[in-house]
Amino acid sequence: MSNNHRTAVAVEGVQRTFHPGTVQEKRALRGIDFELEPGDFAVVIGSNGAGKSTLLNALAGEISVDSGHISVDGIQIQSWPTHRRARLVSRVFQDPMMGTAAALTIEENLSIARRRGHRRNLRLSIRNDDRRVFRERLAPLGLGLENRLTDRVDLLSGGQRQSLTLIMATLNQPRLLLLDEHTAALDPRAAELVMNATTQTVEEHHTTTLMVTHNMNHAITFGNRLLMIHEGRVIFNAGAEEKSKLTASGLVDRFHDAVSDRMVLN
Amino acid sequence: MEFISVYLNLFPVSLAQGAVYAFVALGVMIPFRVLSLPDLTSEGTFPLGGAVLATLLAAGYNPVLGLVVAILAGVVAGGATAIIHLLLKIPSLLAGIIVLTMLFSINIRIMGKPNTALFDFDTIFTQLLNADGGAPLSQFALLMVIILLVCGALFWFLHTEIGVALRSVGANQMMSRAQGLATGWYIVGGLGLAGALSAFGGAVMAQYQSYADVTMGAGVLIIGLAATILGEAIVGNKNLARQIAAPVVGALIYFQVVALALALGLRPSDLRLLTGIFVLCTLAAPLIARRLARSG
Ligand SMILES: Nc1ncnc2c1ncn2[C@@H]1O[C@H](COP(=O)(O)OP(=O)(O)OP(=O)(O)O)[C@@H](O)[C@H]1O
Ligand SMILES: [Mg+2]
Repeated sequence: MSNNHRTAVAVEGVQRTFHPGTVQEKRALRGIDFELEPGDFAVVIGSNGAGKSTLLNALAGEISVDSGHISVDGIQIQSWPTHRRARLVSRVFQDPMMGTAAALTIEENLSIARRRGHRRNLRLSIRNDDRRVFRERLAPLGLGLENRLTDRVDLLSGGQRQSLTLIMATLNQPRLLLLDEHTAALDPRAAELVMNATTQTVEEHHTTTLMVTHNMNHAITFGNRLLMIHEGRVIFNAGAEEKSKLTASGLVDRFHDAVSDRMVLN
Repeated sequence: MEFISVYLNLFPVSLAQGAVYAFVALGVMIPFRVLSLPDLTSEGTFPLGGAVLATLLAAGYNPVLGLVVAILAGVVAGGATAIIHLLLKIPSLLAGIIVLTMLFSINIRIMGKPNTALFDFDTIFTQLLNADGGAPLSQFALLMVIILLVCGALFWFLHTEIGVALRSVGANQMMSRAQGLATGWYIVGGLGLAGALSAFGGAVMAQYQSYADVTMGAGVLIIGLAATILGEAIVGNKNLARQIAAPVVGALIYFQVVALALALGLRPSDLRLLTGIFVLCTLAAPLIARRLARSG
């Protein structure tokens, strides 16, 4: 148990098996261990089916864990439902359609995010002061969304919706930000825009962040930590110094080494 | 041109009827449109409201109290559907059918018999209009005032923090959870609200026709749905004001169409067939349009 006050996120022995005891049994997480310090920006890589999304879902509360502990800021949250964790954890999904409510306006979506972690009551959802904050947060994206507050979100493009989701996830600073391939479904320009907005907000607020990506350049360029996941375990955990020396091809070698080591061991 | 004079005769009554059904149409619109959760409970909450109100009037209570208790009963019944749906993971449609089936027995228990006549008791119509319940057009005017108040309250509520959260749960549950909303409670509240509107509609209906009958809910769901679709075709649903106005406008137009059909010689018993065909056509229209677009 780590009560070290410098630990922002501690994941210890987290396991999750889907469909246990059936032919479809899938041990998606086989004992995940790692810690993040406040402000760490960890990139998570690994092949398809490695368990990256399952890990992020387990952190967010969308799926329950069979065993292990998850703590954020020293608070154990593994038994909390998703909506309760939302006061500590926020996320951006891979699918740009998932992170916003299409039938609501931009400002209504933002007002939902602004009340995250607070009691909601029967006051009007959007007050003038809110609009000012929303414009201030949207303007730096350079998409003109600050002038479209009353437009319904289903009028926006995927890139615009994903940018809005990112603003929603960071409007109230989370203790842990989860990004699951959040630029993978976007065209290159939109992906770059969302990625820039991500690094900007993460750096500005020193947000502790986990970002899953299949883009090796992103994995090298962004973040100060790197976690490589394979078959439900962390097989490579690079700290700041080690990560700064990594290259894309080095990373691929590293992956093959780790995987073949395992095969030998098994 | 006999049918014109028949229609003109029916006009005032059909206007009032449309206004009576506007409430249950709102109660059908909420689950289908705001929550995106199809629900049939209104077929049971509508007579529930009627039964509760009739029983209280017959016991000597005033109609306003009757309406309030009817609303509370509707909240409980609507909430029950939501709880069954959520706890037992039963599709909402089936949960609603179970609840409305059980409500049939409960409604008879409430009244002590399958129907209750209210000709001898004061209703909102006799109290606010005149002793014989008022002319159809004054009934219509009174109902429109109540409808505007209800719609105004609904419009305000759906713009509050809780109301926007409710709409968000209807639009995207995964995102709503991630934004800290306890989606289950919102669904219970949302179906409770729908139950309140339907039961209120039933309670108004019982006073309007001066009796409550346990079978008075049969067919209200499809009327409410037809009204919502018809209204959306006329006023649209691009924003909340229009979405709220749609079932009201739709209910008013629907009963004008009914009056026309009757004036043209159709039997009242044909109406459900026609309503069903209308709803089918509106559901099939996008499909047919797509087929045509692909083949053409
Ligand atoms: N809800 C579920 N039910 C059953 N099996 C699941 C479920 N979710 C994930 N799995 C399985 O668990 C394994 C890990 O899946 P996961 O989605 O976490 O992989 P991933 O690392 O995110 O892969 P990708 O890079 O393709 O997104 C896969 O074999 C997947 O089929
Ligand atoms: Mg994944």
